[in-house]
Amino acid sequence: MTETVRGQSWSQRILSEVALRWGARLGIAWIGLLTLLAVFAPLLANSHPLLVQDADGWHSPMLVHLGPADTTLLGIFFLALLLVLLPGRRLSRFLAWLGGAVAVGILSWTLVSPPSLVVYEQYREAEAAGEYQRVIRAPIPYSAKDYLRDYADTGLESPRASEARMHWFGTDENGADVLSRMIHATRIALSIGFIATGIALAIGVVLGGLMGYFSGIIDIIGMRLVEIFEAIPTLFLLLTFVAFFGRSLYLMMLIIGLTSWSGYARYVRAEFLRLRQQDFVQGAIASGLPLPSILFRHMLPNGMAPILVAASFGVASAILAEATLSFLGLGLVDDPSWGQMLNQAVQSSTFNWWMAAFPGGAIFLTVFAYNLIGEALRDAVDPHVQSGKAKIPAKGTV
Amino acid sequence: MLTYILRRLLLMVPTLLGITVVVFVVMAAAPGGISALSLVEGQNLEPQTKKALEDYYNRLYGLDQPAPVQYARWLNSISPVGFAQDDTGALTGWPMLKAPDLGISFRYGRPVMDLIAERLPITLLLNVLSIPLIYVIAIAVGVRAATQRGQAFDTQASVVLLGLWSVPTMLAGVLMIGFLASDQFWQWFPTGGLSRRAALDMPFLPQAEVWWALLALLVLVFLFAAAFMVFAARVGRHPRMLAGLLLGAAGGYAMIQDLDALNSLSSLVGGGVFGALLGAFLARSEWLALRLFVFGSAGILSGVAAAGWLMPAPMIPGFLLDRIWHLVLPVICLSYGGLAFLAKLSRSAVLENLTSDYARTARAKGVNERDVLWRHVFRNSLLPLITVSATLLPSLLAGSVIVEAIFSIEGMGRLAVEAVQTRDRELVLSITLISGLLTLVGYLLADLAYAIVDPRVSYD
Repeated sequence: MTETVRGQSWSQRILSEVALRWGARLGIAWIGLLTLLAVFAPLLANSHPLLVQDADGWHSPMLVHLGPADTTLLGIFFLALLLVLLPGRRLSRFLAWLGGAVAVGILSWTLVSPPSLVVYEQYREAEAAGEYQRVIRAPIPYSAKDYLRDYADTGLESPRASEARMHWFGTDENGADVLSRMIHATRIALSIGFIATGIALAIGVVLGGLMGYFSGIIDIIGMRLVEIFEAIPTLFLLLTFVAFFGRSLYLMMLIIGLTSWSGYARYVRAEFLRLRQQDFVQGAIASGLPLPSILFRHMLPNGMAPILVAASFGVASAILAEATLSFLGLGLVDDPSWGQMLNQAVQSSTFNWWMAAFPGGAIFLTVFAYNLIGEALRDAVDPHVQSGKAKIPAKGTV
Repeated sequence: MLTYILRRLLLMVPTLLGITVVVFVVMAAAPGGISALSLVEGQNLEPQTKKALEDYYNRLYGLDQPAPVQYARWLNSISPVGFAQDDTGALTGWPMLKAPDLGISFRYGRPVMDLIAERLPITLLLNVLSIPLIYVIAIAVGVRAATQRGQAFDTQASVVLLGLWSVPTMLAGVLMIGFLASDQFWQWFPTGGLSRRAALDMPFLPQAEVWWALLALLVLVFLFAAAFMVFAARVGRHPRMLAGLLLGAAGGYAMIQDLDALNSLSSLVGGGVFGALLGAFLARSEWLALRLFVFGSAGILSGVAAAGWLMPAPMIPGFLLDRIWHLVLPVICLSYGGLAFLAKLSRSAVLENLTSDYARTARAKGVNERDVLWRHVFRNSLLPLITVSATLLPSLLAGSVIVEAIFSIEGMGRLAVEAVQTRDRELVLSITLISGLLTLVGYLLADLAYAIVDPRVSYD
């Protein structure tokens, strides 16, 4: 047993153990599916046909209308795919991917400029007028913001209510297709989860690390700060922030990050207080390494495990926070979001079940997935909770 | 102990100051910030009137002063020690002790103190009802999961609890309103509010036209519930399953029949079959508490039904019953998340203590397993549950923001959302102060309870 484990780092062991748990597998599968939906959203749900053939020959309105966000996501995704297939050290490939992602982002935001005036109805009208010889449409031929202005009777409509327009998940109060909005909303849910947690993690790690490393007066002041942020109900602070600073996606990420770092700071502080006394840290200090090197290269990797557990629960709560804000009417205005769709489920005393079941179900499944992953990570990290059928001996393997 | 409490109370002051500073900075740094402009905005007024109104608000609330001065003034007015101010806000003297004043809400034009005194009891009522419910169910589930570690119940419970914890409060609330309160499905509960208007004129307790009707109702409900519970406790598995099958079938049939939209033969049969399977499954359970609960509630329902059938005399439900009826859905909505969290916590706490040395010693002495569990292990497992009670209160307060929004209950949560939406400086700061104070007092109480329960912990 020991032979098979030798050569694996501790983090690899944890990850492989997590991947063995069925709950974590299901969670990872769901998040993977959402990622695919987010990346390929314009190909899956789009009012612009993928390809049309008219008098001028073949052309693709979908490609013309791709925005910088779409191209960035697609570029990053294919870059990742390419680098997974290429040989090389994992770290260097990861760094190459990061650099490539930044480059793709900058290129997209400077070069890609879709037409600012979008008329979704033109294709349906042109098709009805017989201008197209052939049309290849996306599986869901409605964009997230296509309010079907060419139909007079749009509004809340239950799934598959009308024969002429097929809406698998119904339409929302503006007449937009719910399934299409849900697919486009995966981007907001996933990015809010990752970026908000990333911001919170960065603040928490730096503050908590400094508190734990220096202890003393810095620790006392820092802990007061942590206490202050813990004693304000997070949701209330969020509401205040959003109500006063306006509603934009990036601001919301920043705000959720700014209001949820205190837990991480506590964890990191506790870990660093423990690690500070250990020989390797004393050795690093004695050899005169600069502070960032001691903190982040030597101490942080050893205290990362409980933080990762907290982070995966944190992603779940960041997604919940965004959904809650949108539900309370303080979220994004026009962009699709699951919480905002859920808000339309009970309005003026009628119950629109499809607005509750599908977007609500998506929030639930995503939060559940992250919680499952977090649970599996915690069990893998915690030596006390080795299950009866533990495959890896707890001691002497690293 | 006393010095410890005093020290903690004094330490609260800088924390509370910090909390209000954070929120004030957020308000003041925002584009637009707190200004009279945001108060008169949106009103259709002539420019002169608008200007006059703006000047009036500026004078009234001191909104044209620099932000630090505004904060200092607010601080001065809420503190029991400080300068006295007259109506224009000018400082008039140093009377040492004065009455703390939370100011006047911009939007409501009423003292903040009055508003909070109106709303806080409602939110506290929701929370006070939720906390015991959470603890009782969480402990029951957690202890059973721990004693049956690794068996079917444990694994099922852990998945179900994690799932329950992941259900967003707004989804649960919306589904409950949609299915149990709206007129499209079962209209069993009210859609919102805390009491019907008619209930405000009713007497507090239920009343009937004939004096013995209430007594008969109580006796019938008690008899039915007792009979059902004795049955659930004493009878073997197979007759129990048969009874569960029949009860479930009747219940499922009745539920579908109550629904106009689904009243077809196939759905009636489907409802009956589903109810029967569920009833048989629940009756089959080896868990006594669950069986007692299921059969007891079935007994209460049948008792009420029987009473309604025997005595068609009209009854006035009374204020209390009406209030309870309105509180059922919000309290469930508020408690299930904390319940799931606490049940997982109590499972791990009991599990840790079950394998401890003192539990083994007790078993070796020949103490029976029941006493080991409840008299030795359980008492020690209470410690983490007490510690976490401090964090439960803030999360419940946050939860009541959502629950109150869904069920349109006029509590602190609604007030908080309104306050930030209308940029009501006085109200936002006061709500921050009060919820922060409640949270900190919660922490303190949890620490004190910890010292009382665990004699090893001492703060002296």
